[in-house]
Order: sequence, then structure tokens, then C-alpha cells
Amino acid sequence: MQRVYAEVRFAGHLVRLSLASNMEYRASFITQAVGMFINNGIYFVFWLLFFDRFKEIRGYQIEQIFLLFAIVALGYGLGHTFAGNAARLAWLIAQGRLDYYLTLPRPVLPHLLFSYMEPSAAGDLTCGLVWYVFTGRFDALSILLFLVCSVLAAVIFMSFRALSGCLSFFIGNASRWSSFLSNTLLTFSLYPMGLFQGVIRLILFTLVPAAFVGAVPVEVVETHSLTLLGGIAGAAAVSVVVLVLVFRLGLRRYESGSALNVNI
Amino acid sequence: MPVVSLNNLHKTFAVKRKTPGLKGSLKALVRAEYQTVEAVKGISLELDEGELLAFIGPNGAGKSTTIKMLTGILYPTGGEAQVLGYIPWQQRRQLSYHIGSIFGQKPQLWYHLPPGDTFDLFAHIYELDRAAFERRKAFLVEALGIGDWLDTPVRKLSLGQRMRCEIAASLLHSPRILFLDEPTIGLDVVAKQQLRAAIQTLHDEDNLTIFLTSHDAGDVESLCKRVIVINHGQVIFDDRTSALKRRFLRRKVIGVRFGQPVPDDFSVREATVLKRGTWGVKIELDTHVRPVDDLIAALMAYAPVVDLTVEDPPMEEIIRQIYLADDAVTVEVVPD
Repeated sequence: MQRVYAEVRFAGHLVRLSLASNMEYRASFITQAVGMFINNGIYFVFWLLFFDRFKEIRGYQIEQIFLLFAIVALGYGLGHTFAGNAARLAWLIAQGRLDYYLTLPRPVLPHLLFSYMEPSAAGDLTCGLVWYVFTGRFDALSILLFLVCSVLAAVIFMSFRALSGCLSFFIGNASRWSSFLSNTLLTFSLYPMGLFQGVIRLILFTLVPAAFVGAVPVEVVETHSLTLLGGIAGAAAVSVVVLVLVFRLGLRRYESGSALNVNI
Repeated sequence: MPVVSLNNLHKTFAVKRKTPGLKGSLKALVRAEYQTVEAVKGISLELDEGELLAFIGPNGAGKSTTIKMLTGILYPTGGEAQVLGYIPWQQRRQLSYHIGSIFGQKPQLWYHLPPGDTFDLFAHIYELDRAAFERRKAFLVEALGIGDWLDTPVRKLSLGQRMRCEIAASLLHSPRILFLDEPTIGLDVVAKQQLRAAIQTLHDEDNLTIFLTSHDAGDVESLCKRVIVINHGQVIFDDRTSALKRRFLRRKVIGVRFGQPVPDDFSVREATVLKRGTWGVKIELDTHVRPVDDLIAALMAYAPVVDLTVEDPPMEEIIRQIYLADDAVTVEVVPD
């Protein structure tokens, strides 16, 4: 337990350092975050137009869509802001840039993931909080469940992105694959699960766990179901375990490289 | 008791082969061909505590691959290695508390932040006691002369300044062995000399074992008592540096620029003029025939000297000479 606490403190230190590094270019950081916020806002206009004509879609009204977007955006934003290297892992592996982490006495994976902060993801994070305001759910339990679900969604988003990045260990540069798979997860998570049936639905609860970062958390916040919350926590735990196992396996195939490296 | 021992260490890589151009790319897409490249072919060596070893060779000789296996970054294909009793690729984390490493092309300092911030991070990484960390930092700052740059973002430091800060970062946890992979790469002459002096000081102060790779013969001459030369992944020379100097670092090329024009009939005793310009000359010298200082004294007496450089032969030439000398290939280390 003491070891876990030490690693969490270390991750906190890395996050502070990454933030300080980003703050060296404050204008760039803020404009990227604001740009993403506006981008997300424009995307949501589609749903506003939709609900102007229709009352609901598969049981979702505008309030549920706000809640869905709030959880997905906050989860995605948290995962990619604080563990920014998850999105760059495929590239880092392909370029042989893990040497620095491998020579230091800290668990490689968390050290690596928390060593970079993606400024634009701060815009997603902010969007998530703003969208939640529009759900009108201001009771303490709903807010608490919203936050817990978002954190668990962040773990799943981060693990899935990093896991897809691990493909680089096995097939060479998998940056585009990683990006494609991550976008698939994100896209499917932004729709009511009632739209999907059969095999697709099965995939969205397993291989591409979009249900656990979108629809299921919405149900948790709405119904206050601790059973479903346990399900999301289980999905997050499985994602992390699979990531750790695949990363360890891949590390044996790591080939380093001679590219110039810079820690930013 | 050696602190580093390698026994028949091997490392092979599968390298994709393709003929140039689009046709080659399409062919490789349908059916990729791989060639097995042996980067390290059965290297065996031992290194004692406090030794300062130069591990040199031309680009692609296998220096970095060897150092990466010794620091646990790469798994070997075959053979054995122990560093301080640990098997690096199996006990990487335990080992990393006792070794420091610097890869010339892979900085550890955070680029946009001052070195002091990375030093703090390293104190967390190695879980150093705060007071002990501050004492060690103060010692290294003094020894390396980096006090003025601790609060300057790394991106604003020169390469030489940055490399000295890199060394400080690697030694904060008081390692017993320091692996230096091409630390002088890209540095100018002055920065190289300053860095070599700093490495020497730290070696003497801490009885630090240093494993230094370089393709610059100057690093070896000024720092190390023992040198191992590798080429194509194999050890081709393992002996005292004095032996290498005596036999293969005899030739020097001296470039001199005078404060007055050079006459057409310019010549020097017991040396060869390789090139003559209006203001300067390039002279090749065999140091066994005539000492460098004697020639420099003669040049300075001849006319006012504006600029002067002394160059070692490139590593490729040293390797060529080792191969040419029938009796040169030796892996026996003669104690000093």
C-alpha cells in the first residue's frame, strides 16, 4: 500500500512538472485548450438541431445527451491531459524513445504515461464540466457519481489508447492504428447504446469498451446504481491489467533506436 | 571482483530490406524480406571497480547496443552479463539505483524547464532523502561548474552546458558505475575539454567506475587508462591506452593559420605538408619521429600564429591500422 501511495505521489509530481513545462508556452497552451472547447461546442450543435425536431432517440432526451457528452468529454479530457503520452505511445515505441524510462527505477508504464500533458485535452476536460451544468443534476450523489464515472472512463480511455499504441511493439509504427482505434472508441461512446444491437453491441461491451465510458456511466448517474458502477470499475481494472500485460510482453521486443530524443 | 562482466554477449536485429523506389516499396508490402544483422557478436570483457574504460569504435560498431544491454534497455540474443551482480535485463529496476547513464543523443533533462526542475524530479525518482539530495546537488554543481545555469531552461543552454547538467543529473543518486554513451558528440573543442576534465574530477572524487563509449579518439587519450576497440560487433583491441597511443595514435594532423602569408617554398623538418593556403598550412606528423610540442614551438617561432588545431586520425583509420598490424589484435589486458 505504501508503494502504491509513493507511485501516486510520483505521478502527481510528474503532472505538476508537465504542467510547468506547458506553462512555459502559456499562450499556446490556452489557445489549444480554447480551440478544442470551441470545436466540441460546434460538434454539439448537431444534437441541438436534432432535438429541435425530435423529442428523443432510443430513450435519450437532450438532458441524457448532455450527460453523455459531459462524462465522455471529462473522461477523455482527464485521460489525455494527465496521461498525455498514451496518445503518443505508438510513436514513442516506434522511434525507440523508451530508453530514458527504462534506465530509471520507476515502473516504466506510469512514468511514461504521466510524463506528458496534452494541452488540447484540457479543452475537452473543461467542456465536460460545462456540459454537466446543462444536465441540471445538482444533488451531491449525482455529482459524486458523475465525477467517479468520469475518472473510471478516463482510465479506460487512457488504457485503450496506450494498449493500441503497444501495437508498435509488434507491427512497427502503429501511430495511425492507435489513432483510428481511439477514435472508434470515442465515436461509439458518444451515441446512446440502444442504437446498437447484436455483435456490434457485444463488441462495444468488450473489445472496444465504448459502453463503459458513455452509456453505462449515464445510467449510473441517472439510477444511482452501484452495481453498474462496479461494472465500470471492473472494466477499468481489466483495461489496466491487459495494458500492463501487453506492455510487458512488448517491452521484450523493444529495439530502442538512434533518433534524437527530447523530454518536453 | 569485477563490477561488470560480459561473457559471449550477442545481439541480433531483424532489419527489413527493400530495394529503393516505389517498386521496391510495393514489393516489400507484398512480401517483406528481413535480414538478420548481428550488432554484437560474442563480446566478453570484465571491468573492475574504479576503472575508467573507453569502449570505442566507428559508427555502427555495436557500442551503443552493448551499453543498452548493460543498462537493461535491450534484451540480448545470447550470452551472459552481470553488472554489480545483477542481470541487467532481468533486474533492471534494482540495478538502476546503482548505475547512472548518459546517452549523448537522448537527453534526460526536460527541454523546456531549468535543470534544477529535472534534478528535483530525479530526487523523487530515486526517493532521495531531501538533505542528502541537497548536499549531493551542491557537490555536483560545484564540481561541474553549473551553478549559473540551474534556473535557465534547458533549451537555452549550449550543448556543452547541457551535457554537464546531464552528468550532474545522472550522478545525483551516487551511482557506482556511470555509463556514458558518446558524451562529447557534437561538442566543440573547448566544451569537449571542459567535459573531459569534469568527468575526470568526478571519477577521482567518487572512485566512480566509468564505461565510456565514443568514436572520438581524443576522449580516450585524455581520460582512460584502458581501451577496448570494437568493430562489426567484435572486440578487436583490448589493452592499455598507452599501447593504443604508442602503436595507432601516432599520426597527428596540425592545422595552423599564420598572421602573415605563407611562402610557396614553405616546408617543415620531419613532417609532411598536406595542404598549403595563402595564410595557413595543414601538416601531418608522426609523433614518434618528432614530438607535437616541438613542431608547435617551431611553428610559433616561424611566424605569429592566429589559430592552431591538433587532430587525431579518424576512428576508421585507427581501426584500419589495427587490422593491418598482424599482432595488434589482442584481448589480453596488461595491468598498469
